[in-house]
Amino acid sequence: MKYSLLIGVAALSLSACGDQAGGGGSGSARDQIRAVGSSTVYPFATAVAEQFVNANPGMKSPIIESTGTGGGMKLFCAGVGAQYPDIEDASRRIKKSEFELCQKNGVKEIIEIQVGVDGLAFAESKKGPGMKLTPVMIYKALADNPFGKGKNKTETWKDVDPSLPAIPISVFGPPSTSGTRDSLAELVLTKGCESDPAMEELKKKNEDEFKATCTRVREDGKYVDSGENDNLIVQKLGANPNAVGIFGYSFLEENKDTLNDIPLNGVQATYETVSTGQYPGARPLYIYVKKAHIAAIPGLKAYLEAFAAGWEPGGYLTKRGMVASPDDVRKASAEAVKNLTVLDGASLK
Amino acid sequence: MTTRNPTDWKSDVMRRRIARRYGAERRFRLLGLAAVLVSAGFLAFLLISMVGNGIRGFTRTEILVPIDFSTAPMVVDPATLKGANADQALANAGLPNVTNLAAIAAFGPKGDELLSPNAWLTVRDAIKADPSILGKKETLALPSSTAIDLAAKSKGSPEAEAAYAKLAQANAVSTGFNASFLTASDATDPTQVGIWGAFKGSLLTMLVTLALSFPVGVATALYLEEYAPKTWWTDIIEVSINNLAAVPSIIFGLLGLSIFLNLLDFPRSAALVGGMTLALMTMPVIVIAGRNAIKAVPPSIRDAALGVGASPVQVVFHHVLPLALPGILTGTIIGMARALGETAPLLMIGMRAFIATPPGGVTDPATVLPVQIFLWSDEVSKGFVEKTSAAIIVLLAFLLAMNGLAIYLRNKFEKRW
Repeated sequence: MKYSLLIGVAALSLSACGDQAGGGGSGSARDQIRAVGSSTVYPFATAVAEQFVNANPGMKSPIIESTGTGGGMKLFCAGVGAQYPDIEDASRRIKKSEFELCQKNGVKEIIEIQVGVDGLAFAESKKGPGMKLTPVMIYKALADNPFGKGKNKTETWKDVDPSLPAIPISVFGPPSTSGTRDSLAELVLTKGCESDPAMEELKKKNEDEFKATCTRVREDGKYVDSGENDNLIVQKLGANPNAVGIFGYSFLEENKDTLNDIPLNGVQATYETVSTGQYPGARPLYIYVKKAHIAAIPGLKAYLEAFAAGWEPGGYLTKRGMVASPDDVRKASAEAVKNLTVLDGASLK
Repeated sequence: MTTRNPTDWKSDVMRRRIARRYGAERRFRLLGLAAVLVSAGFLAFLLISMVGNGIRGFTRTEILVPIDFSTAPMVVDPATLKGANADQALANAGLPNVTNLAAIAAFGPKGDELLSPNAWLTVRDAIKADPSILGKKETLALPSSTAIDLAAKSKGSPEAEAAYAKLAQANAVSTGFNASFLTASDATDPTQVGIWGAFKGSLLTMLVTLALSFPVGVATALYLEEYAPKTWWTDIIEVSINNLAAVPSIIFGLLGLSIFLNLLDFPRSAALVGGMTLALMTMPVIVIAGRNAIKAVPPSIRDAALGVGASPVQVVFHHVLPLALPGILTGTIIGMARALGETAPLLMIGMRAFIATPPGGVTDPATVLPVQIFLWSDEVSKGFVEKTSAAIIVLLAFLLAMNGLAIYLRNKFEKRW
């Protein structure tokens, strides 16, 4: 009895060891597409993956990993080969520094495809005070050092602007690794910051200091970093009617029964205003593909085509909450998929 | 010589003292009872809310849709359905369109929105199972959309509830046990998701963890207890192992990322790397449990075995190890149960991914149950709330089975002296 137990355990260990010796190679070719990147693009990339498998039943399902845009760029730009991802999902455009990292590591040819638009939605609970905000107010409320005039001392929204209610500032938003956070910095905070002419001058004089002043968010607990989990923010808003949440438009769309949209500059976040770019928080979503992988990874081209099939207005991606890009952008993106146009780094910031 | 007076138990002082002692006794007992009640209350709250939410995740709503394949706008050559290319032939046959048209014909202009976007897969499987239905009219039970599914569980929006009431009146809808939740893998539509892929990933990961941590852990424990000389060198090893058992799991994740992925170039997201990372975490637990179990074997048994001429190796393998094994196994299973519930280190090595194909081996990309729960909790669609709870129930059942096995092994093989 005792022996059989011992032998059983030993056999189990051995069989698993053998299993392990069989694999473990890394340089071998891969028969699955791998994508990394933004949690905002993740639900759309997975929807495309599903369509792709349904249309090509022989293929293995693509592996989509949600790492945040910044984290994904690091993995994507690490090199060319089977152990590096084929696609980067991004909720902002690739940065010059990231593009250079890619070039340095041999990822020379990158195809840029804009797949759609997402809105950076500001929302509050249905029981909330019904705030109306502008980028300047948000900047004043959230910046660490508003207009470079010392630490942010505002306690309530009324301190920010007399038209707002006297309730404590409490904002739940994305962490610094998130592309959504980059969009917040670029689309809202920087816009609010630039309303001061002194900042415009600073931008010409000292770009780094301008960036720090305009995009650094306060760290005294008024802005609560809520991880990459947008559902958590939705729940927090339900429990705390005076708080403001920042997340992707699709989450607002899905939770319209509990949340109210906060208009920016008087513009509500709706499908139309986001699509046309009239809503200040609208931002494009991209995927980046390594051209060198197109021939090596089976199905990669078909996956891109499945993406293109879904991003039309009324397509399956828009049914899942993605906002279709304007017509000319869609046309350019379709061209990029067809001709595998390589991105020229000169236009990047 | 002083004479001591016998204690006057009836005096006021003594009575008060006794009353105080009894009082303290009673208070302590009640405090203990309250502590048990509080922890049982937390457990009951967790279980009731999980089961309350999750039990609905095991069911799904199906809509009966009559489809007339003989007149449907599709061309399928029955001959192509025999071979391996059946899926490919059916994928190109325009089934989504046929399904949507049938729903519109049956339930009015918005009929297609009542069905899950992937409802045509059920139609495909029905044709594959019985190609003869292609020539006739057939009523199929197709999965409903998330909105209708939530309405069937009285959690939907007013419009969906109205649409559901209409369907229920026509007797075209049923809610039943969803077997595909246990056999399918991750999907983007909550009506289509399943737990099998993550479950298999967990199994493979645990297998690798066991294969690595058990032999190494037991060998370490045996050496340290039976052979190692007592020097400051072994003291350092002992302290390090105890410290290692208390290191936060995320640290092991970072270690796995930098060693296994960056240095050794093992495949990302694979159960192999996950298992190796968790093995690092489980090993110290096994060493500590193993040493305690080996220590508990009475020295008289070793002495007796040596006395009748057994070699030290024979003593270890014939007597000490078999007697210590129940304790070692209990420790191992408890360590494994901890590893099973672990998420943080696996996020670091890329097991946080959308994986719709169940892993075929330890080097295939995989995800595990707790990570799957974490991923679903972050999904946009509301249908995922109950699926998340349902996945938690599966994880709890898995844990319960492992802990049950630990108790069984202990009771079956335990020896008392």
